Amino acid sequence: MTSIRRDILIGLACLVLAIALPFAMPGRYVITQSTLFFIWAIVVVQWNLVLGIGGIFSLAQMALFATGAYATAMLGFYWKVPMLAAIPMAGLITVAVGMLIGLACLRLRGPYVALLTLAIAQVMYVLIVNDTDCFTTTGGCMPLFGGVRGIGQFGDIGLRALFPSKWYVAHYYVGLTLLAVAVTISIVVIRGPLGLAFRALRDNPGYAMSRGISRFKYQLWIFAVSAFFTGIAGGFYAIHFRVVGPTVFSFSTLLFLIAMIVIGGLGSIWGPLLGAAVLMLADEGMRELSDYRNIGLGLLLAVFVIAWPNGLNGWLQRSRTNRG
Amino acid sequence: MDVLIQIVASGLTLGAMYAVATIGLSLVYGSLNMLNMAHGAILTLGGYICYAAIVHAGLHPALALIAAAFFCALVGLMIYFSAALPLLRAENFETNIFIATIGIGSVIENLMLKGFGPYPIPQPLAVDGQVVIGNVHIPLQNVFILGVAIVLMVGVAILLQRTSAGRAIRATSMNREAAQLMGVRVGRVYAQVLALSGALAAVSGIMISSIATLTPVMGGDPMLKAFIVCVVAGLGNVYGAVVAAIALGLLEAATQYVLGVRWSFATLLLLVILVLIWRPYGLFGKQQVVRL
Repeated sequence: MTSIRRDILIGLACLVLAIALPFAMPGRYVITQSTLFFIWAIVVVQWNLVLGIGGIFSLAQMALFATGAYATAMLGFYWKVPMLAAIPMAGLITVAVGMLIGLACLRLRGPYVALLTLAIAQVMYVLIVNDTDCFTTTGGCMPLFGGVRGIGQFGDIGLRALFPSKWYVAHYYVGLTLLAVAVTISIVVIRGPLGLAFRALRDNPGYAMSRGISRFKYQLWIFAVSAFFTGIAGGFYAIHFRVVGPTVFSFSTLLFLIAMIVIGGLGSIWGPLLGAAVLMLADEGMRELSDYRNIGLGLLLAVFVIAWPNGLNGWLQRSRTNRG
Repeated sequence: MDVLIQIVASGLTLGAMYAVATIGLSLVYGSLNMLNMAHGAILTLGGYICYAAIVHAGLHPALALIAAAFFCALVGLMIYFSAALPLLRAENFETNIFIATIGIGSVIENLMLKGFGPYPIPQPLAVDGQVVIGNVHIPLQNVFILGVAIVLMVGVAILLQRTSAGRAIRATSMNREAAQLMGVRVGRVYAQVLALSGALAAVSGIMISSIATLTPVMGGDPMLKAFIVCVVAGLGNVYGAVVAAIALGLLEAATQYVLGVRWSFATLLLLVILVLIWRPYGLFGKQQVVRL
């Protein structure tokens, strides 16, 4: 079985299961948590493209997610842009911001990129939180980026009005659709020319470069592609929670997401999704121990990197080849 | 004139603290190619141990400082044996150790959160009094910090230049394989460097918490600034890092005065990005030629 056909089969199986879930477990809690899972899974799948395929050690993904969320909220709040138009626009704005970050840091080597992107995210957070000047005073004092409290009341995609009692199921399917598109794009990128270019650059950099494969150009491309869907996910997050605040920059979210990628398997197609699912379930299971959540996450992250650097995906593949 | 003295005084204090925090990071990167993301947590831990030693165990402040440095050196050793040593044997060391130390840092930080609570605590190791230059009152605390920093930096310089352990560290950071072939025990150098970096982090944590307060998350900001200093100087360049740290401290004090506290970090970062676009390998770094 070719790998692309296997990917399609796994994808379809997951999709069918996900479509059936609201019928099997109609509880509101399960549905909304699954929607949150879809949002994080989109971010993780796109981040994996940058981190695992492109080999760019960028920590800016949550900053890009926040850009998408803030752009959606601000377009709706200040210019009254309908949300259905605002989310794609936010995606494009995120691409622009992502390209800027990329231009600034992609000529650097690995660790420099990590530090610079981390610093950029931190500066965005500090600027938003410390801003206390009133930008508008309609409905109370509000700074340009909403300050500590964030931005609310920027509109909706209309599903809450359309399905007054079942809107969360509608959001579930919107999230699922976005995730399906994001995963498809990631498969196309990994198996397509971009993925091939990066594999060539990894296997034999000298030959690849002499054949005219520019690392910088392809890195910028993969950065832009992943920024778009991360921005869209941010926009959907804004719609779903109806408020965007500086908590999206929090380090524990970053830790949670990077743990998903590492535990699932960096650079593989299904690993990050698997990691996201496992960690969301584990997080549910440890609700009573919430004080120890970040300790557990940190330990898991360190243990997996040290003992199983290929993650759960690598472990599954090894056991399959052992049997075959 | 008074303003200038004020800016220079607070800038030098900031710069001295950044320098001590940065030397450890820079040494570790220089010899292991390892970005230690747990550095901020170790720095905070140093501050808390000093606090606990003075308040709960009733130790003399000088002993408390030494105890904190010693304990954090042990944490550095633990990071070497539990994370760096096994990862050095596998591929992708730089990426993996970065992620692993993020995890370790989070564990240490949240253990402190459980142990000491989330509320700010004042650091008991403080020096009262002030000196007056012109019309400017400078707290003795700042002078004390500057003094400690200078003593530490001279100590590290002597260690690196005059002792055989220091020569081994410098040789390893210049060329790991050549050093190994000359009989340098690279593993021991790594362990020494991580322990030294832990001790330095503890001292800088105590100094930083003595002019601010102790909180479990206070290490994040100085660590980020220490990284920025390292990046500007060129990763692994220890002496460049000291110069860059003091320059950035002065610059931060100046921007805080001119533009306000809110913009100082953003201005700093903008400058760093410009520096990196102009010289991607840092101000004092050498351009690395990659042979394929």
